[in-house]
Formats: sequence, C-alpha cells, structure tokens
Amino acid sequence: MTAPQQRREIKIETALGDRPKVEGGEVPAEKITIRDLKFFYGDREALHGISLPVYAKRVTAFIGPSGCGKSTLLRVLNRMYDLYPNQRAEGTVLLDGEDILAKSKDVNLIRTKIGMVFQKPTPFPMAIYENIAFGIRLYEKLSQPEMDARVESALRKAALWDEVKDKLAASGLSLSGGQQQRLCIARAIAVKPEVLLLDEPASALDPISTAKIEELIGELQRDYTIAIVTHNLQQAARVSDHTAFLFLGNLVEFGPTDTLFTRPKDKRTEDYITGRFG
Amino acid sequence: MTLYQRRKLANRVALGFAGVAAAIGLFWLASILWILVAKGVAGLDLQLFTEMTPPPGSDGGLLNAIFGSFVMTLVAIVVGAPVGILAGTYLAEYARYEKTARIGEIVRFVNDILLSAPSIIVGLFIYEVMVVRMGHFSAWAGAMALAVIAVPVVLRTTDDMLTLVPAGLREAAAALGAPRWKVVVTVSYRAAASGMMTGILLAIARVSGETAPLLFTALNNQFWSANMNAPMANLPVVIFQFALSPYENWQHLAWSGALVITATVLLLNIIARVLAARGRSNGD
Amino acid sequence: MTTTTAQPRSDFDARAAAVKAVADRGRRQDNIFRGVALASALAVLLVLGGVIASLFIGAWPAIREFGPGFLVTETWNPVTDRFGAVAPIYGTLMTSAIAMAIAVPIGFGIAVFITEICPPWAKRPLGIAIELLAGIPSIIYGIWGLFVFAPFLQHHVQPFLIEAFEDVPVLEALFRGPPYGIGILTAGLILAIMVLPFITSITRDVFETVPAMLKESAYGLGATTWEVVWNVVLPYTRIGVVGGIMLGLGRALGETMAVTFVIGNAHRISASLLAPGTTISAAIANEFTEAVGDIYTASLILLGLILFVITFAVLAAAKLLLLRAQARAGGGR
Repeated sequence: MTAPQQRREIKIETALGDRPKVEGGEVPAEKITIRDLKFFYGDREALHGISLPVYAKRVTAFIGPSGCGKSTLLRVLNRMYDLYPNQRAEGTVLLDGEDILAKSKDVNLIRTKIGMVFQKPTPFPMAIYENIAFGIRLYEKLSQPEMDARVESALRKAALWDEVKDKLAASGLSLSGGQQQRLCIARAIAVKPEVLLLDEPASALDPISTAKIEELIGELQRDYTIAIVTHNLQQAARVSDHTAFLFLGNLVEFGPTDTLFTRPKDKRTEDYITGRFG
Repeated sequence: MTLYQRRKLANRVALGFAGVAAAIGLFWLASILWILVAKGVAGLDLQLFTEMTPPPGSDGGLLNAIFGSFVMTLVAIVVGAPVGILAGTYLAEYARYEKTARIGEIVRFVNDILLSAPSIIVGLFIYEVMVVRMGHFSAWAGAMALAVIAVPVVLRTTDDMLTLVPAGLREAAAALGAPRWKVVVTVSYRAAASGMMTGILLAIARVSGETAPLLFTALNNQFWSANMNAPMANLPVVIFQFALSPYENWQHLAWSGALVITATVLLLNIIARVLAARGRSNGD
Repeated sequence: MTTTTAQPRSDFDARAAAVKAVADRGRRQDNIFRGVALASALAVLLVLGGVIASLFIGAWPAIREFGPGFLVTETWNPVTDRFGAVAPIYGTLMTSAIAMAIAVPIGFGIAVFITEICPPWAKRPLGIAIELLAGIPSIIYGIWGLFVFAPFLQHHVQPFLIEAFEDVPVLEALFRGPPYGIGILTAGLILAIMVLPFITSITRDVFETVPAMLKESAYGLGATTWEVVWNVVLPYTRIGVVGGIMLGLGRALGETMAVTFVIGNAHRISASLLAPGTTISAAIANEFTEAVGDIYTASLILLGLILFVITFAVLAAAKLLLLRAQARAGGGR
C-alpha cells in the first residue's frame, strides 16, 4: 500500500524522446509490490527472496543472464505457475495492496487484471477477430457492434488494424511473426487489464518487427503498467523507466534505467552491462 | 579371401536377406489384396447393396448385414468417442499438471494394453454383463462390445494429440483469465482437432472390421432388422458364417463382403492419415 | 486505498462484481468438466476390472468343478461334461511360436530394408503401406487362409515337407500324416503374415530413434551397412525391438478370426504340425454359441480368462520395455 504523502510530483524529462522519464529519487505510485518472494521448481529454489516495486504506468524491465530467474519472476506476477503442480511461490505480491499469492484469490480474476504476452507468438488456431473476441467474451457480454468496436480499438492500439482490417476472418496463424506478436498484444489489452507482462516479446522477431513492438510499448505505457523481461540490454535501455538486474535468483540492483545503465552501484551489474559475462 | 572381402560379403548377404524379406513380406500382403479383389469384384453389383442375405442356393445381397454393421458402428462411436475423448483429455490436460499424475500413468498403461487385448475377450465380457442379464442376444450388446474396443483407440490419439499442443497456447489462454475447461475446449481441442478426428476415424476403421466381439453379442440375423433389442446381422459375422458354409453362393457373397469391408477400412485409414498430415502442417 | 482509476467508484465496483460472478461460475464449470473427464478416465480402469470380474464369475462353475486340473487335462468332451485346457493352450502357444519364428526375422529384415537400404523416395510409401496393412481386419486373413493359402499348402508345400523329412529323426514327427491343408502349421503361418506389419512398423520406429551421429561415426570408421545395423543400431534399440516383438506376440496369442478358419478345431495335441488342433480363441469362437449346459459355457469362459491373463502379462511386459526404450531415446512419456 502506498502512503500518499510519500508521493511527490514527478519531474518529466523529455531529452530521451517524448516519453516521460523518471528522475532518480522521485517515487511514483506502486502498482505491484513484491516482498521477499521465493520461488521453487520442486525442491530447487529459483528465486531467493526478492523485493521490488513495479510502478504504475511505467515500464519496468527485468534483465540478467539466462537462468537468472527474470522470466520466473514475471510468471509469478500472474500466477502462471499455478498450472504446474511442482511449482510454488512464497512471500507476498501485492496488486493495489491485495496479496495475489493468497490461496483464497481467484487466479482467473487476477489474470483479467494482469495480461501477459509470451516470448513466442501464441495466436489461437482461430480467426483474427475471434482471437481478440475470445478473451472479451470470457467475462463480458457485448452486442455485436460493441464487440466490433472493442476488437477494432484493441487492434488499433496494437498498431495492427491497418494491416488486418480487410482479413479479420483469416486465421491468426496466417500472419507473419511480428504481426502475430502484435495480435497477441492486442488480445491481451482487449480485456482491459491494468498491468501487462511482456516475456521477451521481441526475441523471436526480426529487427523491423522488434522496432514496431518497442514503439508500441512506448504507446501502451500511457494506459498500462508494464513489466518486461528482456535479454537485450539496448532494448531495456530504450523502452524502460526502471530496470531490475537479477543474477542467480537474486535481485542485484534496481533503479531508474538511466542510473542503472550509466552509474551501476554493483560490480556485477557493471560487468553484465558492459558485456563481461552473460 | 581377405578380411575386407569377407566383411563385404557378409554385408551383401545380410542386406540381400533384408531385401528378400521385404520382397516376401510385400508379396504376401499384395497377393492377399489381389485375390480379395479378384474374387470379390465379381459379386460387386447393385444386388449386393439392395437385397437381403439369401438362403442357401438362391440369389441375394448383403443389405441387412451392411445396415447392421453401420448401425452398430455408429452407436459404438457415439458412445465410445466421447468417453475416449474425455478420458484422453483428463490424461493430457489434467493428470499431467496435477498431483494425480500417477493415476494418469496407470490409466495410460492399462489403456495401451486394452488397445491390443484380444477382442474375443471383450465379446465374452459383454456377453456376461449384457447378454446374460438381458436373457437374449441383441444389437445393443454388439454395439457396446464395439464401443469398448473403440474407446482405447480414441483415448490414445486424443492423449497424444493434446500432448502435442504447445504449452504456450494454454498459458496464453489462461493468461486472459480463461477457466481451465474453456482453455481445453476452445483452444486445445481446436488446435488438436484434426488429430482427434483422425483418432475417431481410426476407431471406426478398427471397429467396422471386428468379428470376434460380435459372435456372441449381436449374433446374426438372416433377415432385415432395425430392432436394437434383437440380434442383428452384420458384415463380419455374415462373412464368417458364409465363408465356412458349403454353399457356393454364400461363399461368393463372403468374398464380396470381405472386399467391401477391406475397401471401407483402407479408405478410412487413408482419410485419417491425410487428415493427420494436414493437421501437422497447419499446427505449430 | 487503491491507486486512482479513470472510472468512478460505483461503476468500477459493479464491473468487478459482475466479473467475479463470471469467475465463480467458471470455477464451478471447471470442477464439473474435470470430474466428468476423470470419471471417463477411471472408466478405462473399470473396464479392466469388469473384464476380470465378469470372466471370473462366468468361469466359476468350471473352476469349482475342475480346479487346477483344468490346466493339465487334455479331454474336451461336451457329452460327458469333462473339459481341460491343455489342447487349446498348446495350440495357442504353438501357433504363436511358429508365427514369431517367421515374422520376427522377416519383420526385422523389412525394417532394415526400409531404414537403411531403400531409396529415400520409397521410404514413406513403404512405411505407409505397412501401416495400412496392419489395419486390415483379421477376418480377411482368415478367409484368404481358408480358400487360398490352405489349399496351396495342401497341394504344393505339405506333401513336399512330408517327403523331405521322412527320414530325418525329429522333423519326421513334426511333419507327419496326411496333408489336410488346415492345421497348426497353416494357422501359424497366417498369424505370421498378420503380425508382420505390427512388428515391422514398431521395429522401424525404434530404428529411427537411433541418432544419425551414432551411425555416422560408425560409418566413419569404415563399417559396412550391416555392421552398423548389427553393432550400433541393434544394441541401441534392443529393448524397443524386444518390446515390439512382445507386442506382436500379444496380438498373435489373442488373434481369433485369422486362426479360426484354418485351425481345424480339434481338441487334441498331435506331435505333427500338419494335424488340426485348436487355440483358445478359436475354441471360444467356434463353440460358444453352441455350448449347452453351464459347465460347457463356463469352461469356455475359463479358457477366455486364461487367455486374458496370458496376453495381459505379455502386453504389460511389452509396454514396460517400450516405455524403457522411449525413456532412453529421450522422448517424453
């Protein structure tokens, strides 16, 4: 829970493009608060007590070498691990002050608030229109015109509308990789989540598609809180406001992206961002 | 002879044997099909499909037997396919992700055994639980015996095909807040649709040629009958009886019936294969 | 207490309540779906239990009457109601043994041919042809055996066998007597043709699990194709091949229609393979509907129970071996 008196005016810096950047030391609202989070694959502990905020309407990047636990951390935030019997989390993850790890919480309700986009595009084997409508229909009953409007607005937000508006009945699988990924983003935002989790959303894409996705992330952060996992440091630097560096299941450093990339406090962070390992 | 020459000779002999084995095997199988066509095609006329099984010495067809086989196969699939699909769904979509994985493994193991278990045993089983209870042979009993044979086929393919559905697709649906059953029905089933259809076709193919489980469940009927509570004619048992009879016209009908069954089964198998191949190229 | 939202509070609460109701319903539907699926899966186990229980109950009069003696008695006399299983058990084992003795080497040869020798363009069609043949109903093999194969053996093969082995001590006993055409040998040969596709396709499948690198390294040492098959492929796939053979054996033991046509249905054991005999499944298929009296029927069901136990054991062993082979090949399950 965020005490309002702690929040101060956020100073906006426009030097790095037109996106707002947070100056170090000033704290925006915490959308998600992670406290002492431990995660287990069977007996193996993959996260060793991580504490971290994810700020509202900001982009937070999780970086680190393969196997550091960055994807694991992301998958805790919408309880994706619930699908698998041997995986379990300990600690607290607060979404707007409510613990989403609590057993009593309906996991599907949590997921309607926290959307996710995966590393590989995962269009459902159905029409483009149906791909978007699928998630909306789960929890809302809309008339046909309302639904059409929602599908269009989701596709527009994902910068895909112009490319697919004439073939909404075509299979989602017929799109190119980059288009499929934007379709998945459109699908995720169509259900009006509050948070978007992006798990290396551009790692399977070509450079042009990657640029489009990054641009999109910049647009989306006006409306959504975004957490992104990436192994691409330039990408993290380009798209994120805050960056968390994870190493071997521990949070090594967390701070404003500019600070972390230019003046890392920890030797390991410095080694990683200068390419000395990983 | 040098060592190298000896090795080369051994290689030639062994590979020669493999080639001969392939030739022998294929020759046998080809000759069966050839004779089947040669002997069966003569009787393949309109009469075969429009007239009832005749008494010895007179003309007739196999209409009542074809109809009976069709009806019992249909009922068997209508009953067996949903059970097989649901059970396969449990194994692939639930047991694998739950602490009940053990139950899943046991069911999978038992199912694979039932898949190859002697079909005559299934006939005895249904005889005991249905024919004896009801006091008479019936088409229901025959259909249930066939359903018991169809379930393992459908279960196995459903399980296999759902297992091939990428986990990412399930996660993506779950990430939208879809309840588990909805993920399964709208996403997994759709992704595995052609594979699951293949399983049902293979089950139809398997069931429509089965003879042993019908011998003492549906029995046979020389006349037209659409009564599921009475014995019903069916192609395999008619072929069995007619082939073993001393009457020439019955034997001819048996050959024609055999050709009809084989053609049907092969056709179903080919369609199933084409469907499966198409499913693979669409998927991923 | 929460961060600010664009929507007014009451509207927000109403939407949240509606969403929660949908989620609750979803959870209930989830439980129902899972329950139905689980019940279907358990139905498979129920069938297994039902088969064993019903056969046992049906066979009970015979078990009570004959006890373990059933297994060692050759008599099969419906008139005096004395029954024993030795002849059909012998016939079942003997026909299967003949079938395996022929089908295993030939199936192995075909698998080697498909995986190692035949040109790439023929691989798929051959494989598909073999699999299609595995789907042909067994009654077709039966009718072919009765009308084509048995007469062929009777006129061209059996007289030759009888003559050829006339003076050879052991074989003389195996191939003695009039050439009926039908009998144990004919049934065994037809079974061999029937299980051939099964054995071939499984053997081919496990052969294809051998990593190309392993074979290439052997070829790299200058090994011949045969040496690669014998010293690399076969040891690597040993367990899987044995599993495939056992699966074929399971089929052969339980096969009914292909055998019933040509076995001759005689409840006695002859030294000669040319003599008619019977198998468990053929005896049931031939006699069940005509069996009168509780003991006769029960004896046939008891035969069925024995067959089920034998095939279950063989198939379970096959399955375990194949699972082990699969685990070694690194495939899932």
